[in-house]
Amino acid sequence: MSDETDRRDPGDVGPGFMDAAELTIREGIARYVIGFVLASLLTAASFYVLNTSLIWGPGIPVALIVLAIAQMGVHLVFFLHINTAPDNTNNVLALAFGVLIVALVIAGSLWIMDHLNQNMMPMHQMMQMQR
Amino acid sequence: MSATDTPFERAGDPYRVGRSRDWVSTGAGRGHVYATGHGEGGPASKRVIVGYGFWIFLLSDIVMFSAFFAAHAVLQTATAGGPSGRELFNLWSIVAQTAFLLVSSFTCGLSAVATEARNQLWTQVALLVTGLFGLGFLVLEGRDFAGMVMQGAGPDRSAFLSSLFAVVGLHGLHVSAGLLWLGTMMAQIFVKGFRADILRRLVCFNLFWHALDIIWVALFTVVYLIGLGR
Amino acid sequence: MFGKLTWDAIPWNQPIPLVAGAVVVLAVFAVVIWVVLKGYLPYLWREWITSVDHKRIGVMYTLLGVIMLLRGFIDAIMMRSQQAIAFRAAGYLPPEHYDQIFSAHGTIMIFFAAMPIVIGLMNFVVPLQLGVRDVAFPTLNSTSFWLTATGALLVNLSLVIGEFARTGWLVYPPLSELPYSPGVGVDYYLWALLISGVGTLMTGINFVTTILKIRAPGMSYLRMTIFCWTALAANLLIVAAFPILTATLGMLALDRYLGFHFFTNDAGGNMMMFINLIWAWGHPEVYILVLPAFGIFSEVISTFSGKPLFNYRSMVAATMFICLVSYMVWLHHFFTMGAGADVNAFFGISTSIIAVGTGVKVYNWLFTMYGGRIRFTTPMLWSLGFLVTFTIGGMTGVLLAVPPADFLLHNSLFLVAHFHNVIIAGVVFAAFAGITYWFPKAFGFKLDEGWGKAAFWLSLLGFYVVFMPLYVAGLLGMTRRLQHYDVAAWRPWVLVAGIGIVIMMAAAACQVIQFVVSVRRRNELRDATGDPWDGRSLEWATTSPPPPFNFAVLPNVQGAEPYWGIKQRAIETQQLSPEPKYEPIEMPRNSPTGFITAFFCTMTGFALIWHIWWMVALGLLAAYAVFVWFAWRDAVEYSIPAEEVARYDRERRRAREQWLAQHGGQPA
Repeated sequence: MSDETDRRDPGDVGPGFMDAAELTIREGIARYVIGFVLASLLTAASFYVLNTSLIWGPGIPVALIVLAIAQMGVHLVFFLHINTAPDNTNNVLALAFGVLIVALVIAGSLWIMDHLNQNMMPMHQMMQMQR
Repeated sequence: MSATDTPFERAGDPYRVGRSRDWVSTGAGRGHVYATGHGEGGPASKRVIVGYGFWIFLLSDIVMFSAFFAAHAVLQTATAGGPSGRELFNLWSIVAQTAFLLVSSFTCGLSAVATEARNQLWTQVALLVTGLFGLGFLVLEGRDFAGMVMQGAGPDRSAFLSSLFAVVGLHGLHVSAGLLWLGTMMAQIFVKGFRADILRRLVCFNLFWHALDIIWVALFTVVYLIGLGR
Repeated sequence: MFGKLTWDAIPWNQPIPLVAGAVVVLAVFAVVIWVVLKGYLPYLWREWITSVDHKRIGVMYTLLGVIMLLRGFIDAIMMRSQQAIAFRAAGYLPPEHYDQIFSAHGTIMIFFAAMPIVIGLMNFVVPLQLGVRDVAFPTLNSTSFWLTATGALLVNLSLVIGEFARTGWLVYPPLSELPYSPGVGVDYYLWALLISGVGTLMTGINFVTTILKIRAPGMSYLRMTIFCWTALAANLLIVAAFPILTATLGMLALDRYLGFHFFTNDAGGNMMMFINLIWAWGHPEVYILVLPAFGIFSEVISTFSGKPLFNYRSMVAATMFICLVSYMVWLHHFFTMGAGADVNAFFGISTSIIAVGTGVKVYNWLFTMYGGRIRFTTPMLWSLGFLVTFTIGGMTGVLLAVPPADFLLHNSLFLVAHFHNVIIAGVVFAAFAGITYWFPKAFGFKLDEGWGKAAFWLSLLGFYVVFMPLYVAGLLGMTRRLQHYDVAAWRPWVLVAGIGIVIMMAAAACQVIQFVVSVRRRNELRDATGDPWDGRSLEWATTSPPPPFNFAVLPNVQGAEPYWGIKQRAIETQQLSPEPKYEPIEMPRNSPTGFITAFFCTMTGFALIWHIWWMVALGLLAAYAVFVWFAWRDAVEYSIPAEEVARYDRERRRAREQWLAQHGGQPA
């Protein structure tokens, strides 16, 4: 049983670490360095965007979210090695399912709660708003 | 028998129906080297199974975070007359925390390369650095929280603060658990070496640590940066 | 020293819980003492408590579920009898007690009866149907079971020590917040569900991984049984939905323990958000229960009609469609909370759309039966009862999906009748069908048909007599959860429902008698070949009960319904396929990890409920220590030598050859 040995069989790898055994150390490190540099740039950009006048004020949250999604993508590709190889299909599908659920929960809750708060606002708060 | 046969077929059992010490389990079958999306090759290898199971666990964890995120998004303006984000957040601390976590993610990746090369020393060094940066992250976050509580802006002040402490705190709890796990793994590698089941656990730890950084990206963007804009 | 815990926690001045609690405690002690004196403890420890075998775990889950079904049923009897006599009268249950009963009834039935039975059946059957030896993470499986048992234990403990929640089974705030529920009731609920929720989530991860990554060679997705597809859908829903339950109950716990303000009346809390989040879990939850139930019916109906399931691909499509859309309908549980017409309209439409998936399934079952040779065995009777009764429940559901109608019927007995209609006809009938169907596989002998049929007919009749009047009472305006009422128009209907519960008690008695009689007659009811029903899927290829490793050689799957193909070939050629080459098999070792971890979680949960902080710390530390000790194991598997595998399998082949010779190709 492969438990007692650590023989590296090319087929015996986990998701996202598919080709780990075939890379040289240099290639392995390079992958992480590129990911680190890209992520750092995007992170710095996020903090920069916060205060700059380069982006129209109301658009700042959108820019931040786009940058966040880009950062998450860099992490997924360079650190978690998600790719589109055929043996990775289950991982990509699972990720897509997770993203869908998160989107439904957050977007659905925001839509619902916004409506509820509007319609069910306590009377004293409404009167405060009139002042 | 041809040159393109998998180890299985060479051993005369394309379907891996029995396991003995001589057998290598792979995700293969029917001539494919790796398990295809159709899974017709029979049961996948242990490494594939463990990695995939942990991946599903991470997705469930992300759904749990999304519930706390949703709560925070709804409660972002419920300051109940108390302090809001703009008055409370220390931007430089957030920058430092983000940097620490990102670096620790990077060094965690380096430790994976060292593990692949079966180098005990560099694996332990990289894991240690990862842990230290993770600890630094927690210290900074702890100081922020303590400062806010001192100011009377603890989680019991308003719903906004409750949701803030909860979502950021949940992440911190995960980082703490991760550090405990990291320490245990370092001990195990030291005592037992690069045994196959320990290697599988290291893969899981890597997935976990990188996922925590992904969640932090969402956290600092939505909670802190967008929150600062209000 | 012991936090809030004092001797007053025991309900000395409340006769009903005191006596009930005393009876249960005595019964438990009696069983434990009997087991110890008879010397069964080593056997139980070795073969069941520390087992990581999916078959053993499946049986334990199902047993837990059936016992809790009985406990929940007793709550139901109390409620029905209270309502039957409480017309312009106080009845025999004071409101503080009645509130705990309906809360406990719902909590126990959903979390500790229905879920364990469904998960237990999936545990037992799925690896066998996939043609493999066990699930992806066997020790995790054991831990899942024992954590669920922990939750059940905590809820039942509340009967004897302290009290249970008085808020209904979903503990809505602000009633469940500290100012209005200062006692330990809601805390019992929270920790029982937070702990068992972790167990259920781990089950979800386990089965998704198993079904997607561990199948017999040649078994592509479209060659799996429909039960496996529904199990996949249900477990995907578990993975996607249970984290939300954990999060939401966690937020409530933070409110109660650390003074947070998620759902409080003051400081900006938003109680409506609790309801939104809890139902975002709650709706997928009911599909987690009902999808495997549909899977069970698919198996039973095709087997006892002697035909393959009609239009397998549309069944798969309908299953995955339901799985996906179940995440888009949750607001229909709170139409009346005030989100407005546009939001209500969206969710009303999506709710009506999801009914289409089930409609497709019902037609497929009907077309499966059409043109088949139907055998009216007990499992088939449960399925037929389901088809008629569930359709009614589904229709009332679509009626409730129309927001204006729901504004009249929300929280009335019409709603109560609807969800009992679909859960009883769907999940409970499926539970009995599945248990009867797979019982011989698990234990080697069938259940007595006569008593089984009696139980079915009485259950069916009892169900209609209890719940059809409740539909009417709901339309006449009767609200749910009433401890007493004074509207004369409702009285006859409530009385009829009270009679119905007596019929259901007779049905329950028949179930118990069925079990006792079957055990007594087990030699006559013996299943010699492992295929008592002329089955079509791979679990029937094994012996009854199967050996620990399930299959001596993993089957080579060449089409859908692989076992049927194997059988027909054998019948045609009048001989079995040639003996395979036997190899040694590695199986996972048993482990006490699950049981010990759950023990410390019980301790931690109890300590959290009663605010015994030193015990909390101790429990958490101990649980972590157990985890590290388990992770330090060196010997993870044991090997079964090839000769022993050969011995098992040759015996199986002998039995099959005997059957072949005797029957010359006719089904059993």
